[in-house]
Parts: sequence; structure tokens; C-alpha cells
Amino acid sequence: MATVAHEVGIKKNYLTAIKEAIYEEMGLNPGLISIGEDIGILGGAFGVTEGLQAQYGTQRVIDAPISEAAIVGTAVGMALQGKAVMAEMQFIDFISCGFDQIVNNMATYHYRTAGEVALNVTLRGPAGAYGGGALYHSQMNEAWFAHSPGIKVVCPSTPSDAKGLMKTALRDPNPVLFYEIKELYRLRDIEEELPEGDVTVPFGQASVRRAGKDITLVSYGQTVYHCLKAADILAEQGLEAEIIDLRTLVPLDEESIKSSISKTNRVLVVNEAPKTCGFAGELVARINEIAFEHLDAPALRLTRMDTPVPWAKPLELFVLPSVNQIVELAQRLIRY
Amino acid sequence: MTLTPTASSAKSKAADAAPGEQRLPRTLLTPEDHLEILKQLYLARYFDVRLIKEKKRGRLRGTLYSSHNQEAVLVGSLFGLKSTDWISPIHRDMPAFFMKDLRSGWDNPDRRAMSIEEVCAQVWCKSGSPGRARDNWSHIGKKSAGIIHSTSMLAGTIPVAAGVAYADRLDGGDAVILTYNGEGSTAQGVFHEAINFAAVHKLPVVTIIENNHWAYGTPTHLEYPLQDFARRADGYGIPGSIADGQDVFDVYDKVMEAVDYARSGKGPSIVECKTFRAYGHGDHDDDRAAKYRPVEEVERGRNRDPIAVCKSYLVEKGYLTNAEAEKYKAENKSAGETTDEDFPPEVVAYLKRGVDFALKSPDPSPEEGGMWVFREGA
Ligand SMILES: Cc1ncc(C[n+]2csc(CCOP(=O)(O)OP(=O)(O)O)c2C)c(N)n1
Ligand SMILES: [Mg+2]
Repeated sequence: MATVAHEVGIKKNYLTAIKEAIYEEMGLNPGLISIGEDIGILGGAFGVTEGLQAQYGTQRVIDAPISEAAIVGTAVGMALQGKAVMAEMQFIDFISCGFDQIVNNMATYHYRTAGEVALNVTLRGPAGAYGGGALYHSQMNEAWFAHSPGIKVVCPSTPSDAKGLMKTALRDPNPVLFYEIKELYRLRDIEEELPEGDVTVPFGQASVRRAGKDITLVSYGQTVYHCLKAADILAEQGLEAEIIDLRTLVPLDEESIKSSISKTNRVLVVNEAPKTCGFAGELVARINEIAFEHLDAPALRLTRMDTPVPWAKPLELFVLPSVNQIVELAQRLIRY
Repeated sequence: MTLTPTASSAKSKAADAAPGEQRLPRTLLTPEDHLEILKQLYLARYFDVRLIKEKKRGRLRGTLYSSHNQEAVLVGSLFGLKSTDWISPIHRDMPAFFMKDLRSGWDNPDRRAMSIEEVCAQVWCKSGSPGRARDNWSHIGKKSAGIIHSTSMLAGTIPVAAGVAYADRLDGGDAVILTYNGEGSTAQGVFHEAINFAAVHKLPVVTIIENNHWAYGTPTHLEYPLQDFARRADGYGIPGSIADGQDVFDVYDKVMEAVDYARSGKGPSIVECKTFRAYGHGDHDDDRAAKYRPVEEVERGRNRDPIAVCKSYLVEKGYLTNAEAEKYKAENKSAGETTDEDFPPEVVAYLKRGVDFALKSPDPSPEEGGMWVFREGA
């Protein structure tokens, strides 16, 4: 792994972390194949697979035609033959062009074969708004797939989580949908030293990003940082927010959510997807199921408005959740 | 201004056909038409180079997908359309939005197209754009102008075009719908589904394949096993022709044949225009493209500038003198090498109007972000 060898003391960004995980897993598992649009010659639209084809060859790093359905479907076929597959969606928004292959073919395979066939397929791609990408380069469509039994759904917010979770995904015998937050790819503020050696992060374990006793903020992906900023503002007012970064949506770490709420007795869920039938709504429902007796105020959610993500900055900011909105809602819940 | 007919051909009449050109659609073009076509090539080029410069100066948001070196595909395909026809341009076809129906007069307020003002407002992300800057760049359209609104999803408007054509026919119309697609986009499932549908129902949908030989960082042999994307037509039992995408008159001929065929009720067809992408996929890709595309290939792909090809044809036909052809030299230059003096002044002035409008157009107000999810009051 000459290209991305581990360097002690060097901080790495979120994109490099994902890149390292893919390089390492391609090296460790000769049965791992990478496929996607422009991932070989170009090295990927964002450069996640830069140099990968030079290192592992055109047989294992495939430049696919612009055919999302065929990319997912052939990944399924390769996995049926026992291969592991990393399939890139150039933007996660384009995943809808492969929708049927994902929800009807891939997701259900293990179930309908009574466990005969497990598919080690990781679909990954850049996601998320706040960057001016407009309607078709900003989506967070995780709810579509969390709603399709048989797919694990992952969304890291830090470089080390991104690397560890990607390694876990590429080894998991089940289909995984991996949301990479493109606004975090090269964000300097969140760069960090990555753990040395072959370190994975398990699915189904949330991480507490900040401890507090007055309210629990549950989030994942980009809005974790909105929550962290809101927590700073709340702290100036003497209010301590605890922040749970889910890291994986399916499977969901109910224990961590419950134990935090049992301490804070208040909870606000924050994500950037539309409100109706979004994963935030699912979390609020789960919280009522598992932690109702601990709640001193209703479990609330803050999401994007029920609109697409528009292009012009004033429009985009209007429909997306903001730090101020988190602060206001948290104050309201604490005062409740 | 040089772009008026030269003395020898000042009379407005159909051009004299050379042997072999006898039945070509171009034989019905007047000398004025020929000169207008050259002027339109300048306009498309000028729009592109101006935006490249604006983008480099950091004045525009989003990604610019240059149409440099591919202008003949746009001008040649649009020129013969009727006002009532429809088009569906994609990311690389920005000039098409304001060049549709340009023949009915650059300043004609009833022209069925977007105005240069509207298109500039869109590029500058202002409320004066038809979509009020809700989506970026080419993701606009205008029903009243016969322009289908595209999404990012490649080939995604071809079925919409089929639906537009079907409904128009039901209503007794004779509109033809031109859809534009890169060669890479032909690999989308919906490309096949939509053209098959159009073929079954003999719908007047003409699919232009702009084969610029690269789909982002992927060369054609990894997109399709045959050299000619026009062969895709074989599978639907419809005509598939190939045009020299650097020669505006060849594009005009091939597209008009397909348009006439469609209008006469015979059904859809595919016209592949062979051309070459001048720069990176988008402006963000210029540096990387310089590495993944061999220099010789780029030089070969760009050595027949559509403006130069058009000019030499006009000189050969006697519609333009050598001196006139020398006056504006936009051809064979990269965007950065051109100046306003390389373009006819009315072309420069036309775009200036658009840019001035865009700069004055206000940003959309934030609340618009929450509006128009549904038609209210239904
Ligand atoms: C369904 C879908 N998948 C992927 C993309 C990302 N994408 C945008 S343009 C492009 C390449 C298009 O190549 P081509 O069709 O040849 O058109 P060109 O850009 O060369 O004009 C890709 C992969 C997309 N827009 N839509
Ligand atoms: Mg192309």
C-alpha cells in the first residue's frame, strides 16, 4: 500500500480516511472488486479511488458505463459468486437510477433464499447538502434504504469513523449503503490522526461526541457538527447538551440513545433529510418505544423542510436545519 | 459587419447546390441563412468563452460544462426547427436555451426560446431565471418556449420528450422534439426504454447523440462496444445517422432529414454527431483531464474548429470573401486566448445585455425555498 501508507503524527481528512480503508481492504482481500463510473482512469469524481486502478489493475477496478442499475446488479452477481464488491455511486443522488436492483434484488436476496446467499456489497457515494449542489447533488436519501429491510445504512462524521466503518462495511457479508458526506471530505477542521493498524469500527455502536446532562441531541453525518456548535452556544448559557453520533442507522444503537436520555430526560433528533417519513421521524418513534418513561418533554426532531434542496444560497439555507434552530429547540425542550 | 451576403450573392435565393448536394436539406438555405449560421456559431462560442472567464475570476457558482468545439452540433441541429418544436438540452448545451428559434429574430420578443437575459440570470443564480435559481445551470426549461426542464439524471428527459410528442400529436400538433445526450448517457436504462417507447408509437422524437469521445474520465470503448453510437438505432428498428459534428451544415442536413422523417409521422430516429470535448468534463476537471487525455488526441480532436470549417465552406461557396473571413478570428483559440475583438460586435453586445440583466437581477428571497412544492388551491 505504497500510496497511502500509515504515517504517524499526520492528520488526515475524511476523504483520505475512506481512501485508505479501500486501499487496505483491496490489499487484504484479493476477492474484493471495485466498480463505478470514472473510478479507474480518472480515480473518481472526488478522487476517493485515485491510483486504485494503477495499483490493483483493470480487472479489479472497473470503469463502468453510466448505468447505475447495471453497476448494482453486476455487483450482486459478483457477490453471488463469493466476491466482495465496492460499488461507487458518483453522487448518492444517482442511486435512484439503480433503485430496483437495490431494493428488490440486492436487499431481499438473503431473505428470499432462506439464508443461502449473503451479498457482500458496499454501495458508497458522496451525499449531503450545504454546499450549493442543488436538487441532484445534495440528497440524503437514507430513509429510502433504511425502509428496505436487508440493507445496513452507515453515515460517519469523522475521518477515523469513516475509515473504521468502511473497513467493516467491506467485510460485512450483507449489503451496506455508505453515505459519505462530501462537505466533510476535505474539511480541515475535522482532520485527525487515524488509529494505527488494522482498526475497524463496529456497526451498531453510536459514539458520544460530547457529554452533557440537560438534553440529548441525536444526529449523524453533517448535522453532528451543527449540534456541536449549538452545544457550544448552549454551554455559554449553562446548558449542557450530550451529543450522540449514531454512525450507523441500520443497525441502530438503541442502548446508547436510551442511556443518554435516562440521564438528560430530553431529546432532540437532528438530520438534514426531509421531514415526512425521514429517519428522524423513525428515531422519535423508537425513542418513545424505548425511553418514554425517561422523558420530561416530548421527543422532537429538526429536519430539512419538506422540499428538495434548492441551489441559490438563501434558498438552500432557508430549507435546511441551522445551528440557531437547534439552540432554540433545545432551550424550549429544557424549559418545558 | 461582415456577415451580410457578399456582392455576388446578395440576392436572397436558395444557394446554388454543388453536385452531390442536390437533395440535401441545406440546398434550401439562402446565402443569408449561411451567414446567419456562422454568426450563431460565434454567439455560441462567445457565450462559452465569456462564462469560462467569469468562472475563472470566481464570479459564478456551480460547474461550467463547456460546449467549446461542439457548437456546430447545437447550431446545426437548432437552425431548421420550427418555433413550435421542442428541445431538451443537457449540461453541455447551455447555449441551446437561448439559441432555439433564433431564426425568428434575435430581438423578437415572441421568439419561442429563453431570452439571453433569462439564461444569464440562471447562470448568475438570480431570481430573473426561469427557475428562479432553484436548480443550477442547465437544469432549467420553459414550457411556453418548448424547452423541457432537465434534471441531472442523464437521459432522464427522453421519456418526457416521448410524452410531449404523444400529447402534441393527440392535440393535432406537428411538433418534433429534439433531445440532446452525450454518448456516455446512452448507457442509461431509461435511454433504451424511452426510445423503444417512441419507436413503438412512431413518435416524432429525434435523439441527438453528442459523441465528444469522453464521458467525464471514461473513453468511448468502455461505454459501448461499437464505434458508432448511431448503431444503437438498429435495436429499435429506427434510422440512425452519423453527422460530422464539426461541420454545421452536415449536422443541419442529418438532423433535418430526421426532423422531416419525424414530422411526416414515420417515427423517431437517432443522429450521432461526432465531435470532441475541448476541455475537462467541467471546469473543475480541466487539470485532471490534461492528465487522463493524451495531448495528441486532444490536438486531433480540436484541429477542425467548427467556426473555421464553416468559414471555409462559406468562402468556397462565395458567400464570404477571404478578407471578411479574416476579420473575426475566434477559431483555433482557447477561451483565454480570445478577446472581444475576435467576435462580431453584435454578438458581444447581445451577451452584454444578458449579463447586465443578470447582474441587476436580485437574489431570490429565502422564503421561496419553501414554496411551490405543490400547486396550491387545487
Ligand atoms: C444517472 C446519472 N449518473 C451519473 C451522472 C454523473 N455524470 C454527469 S455527466 C457524466 C458524464 C456524461 O458523459 P456524456 O454523456 O458523454 O456527456 P458529456 O459530458 O461528454 O457531454 C456523468 C457520469 C449523472 N448526471 N446521471
Ligand atoms: Mg461525452
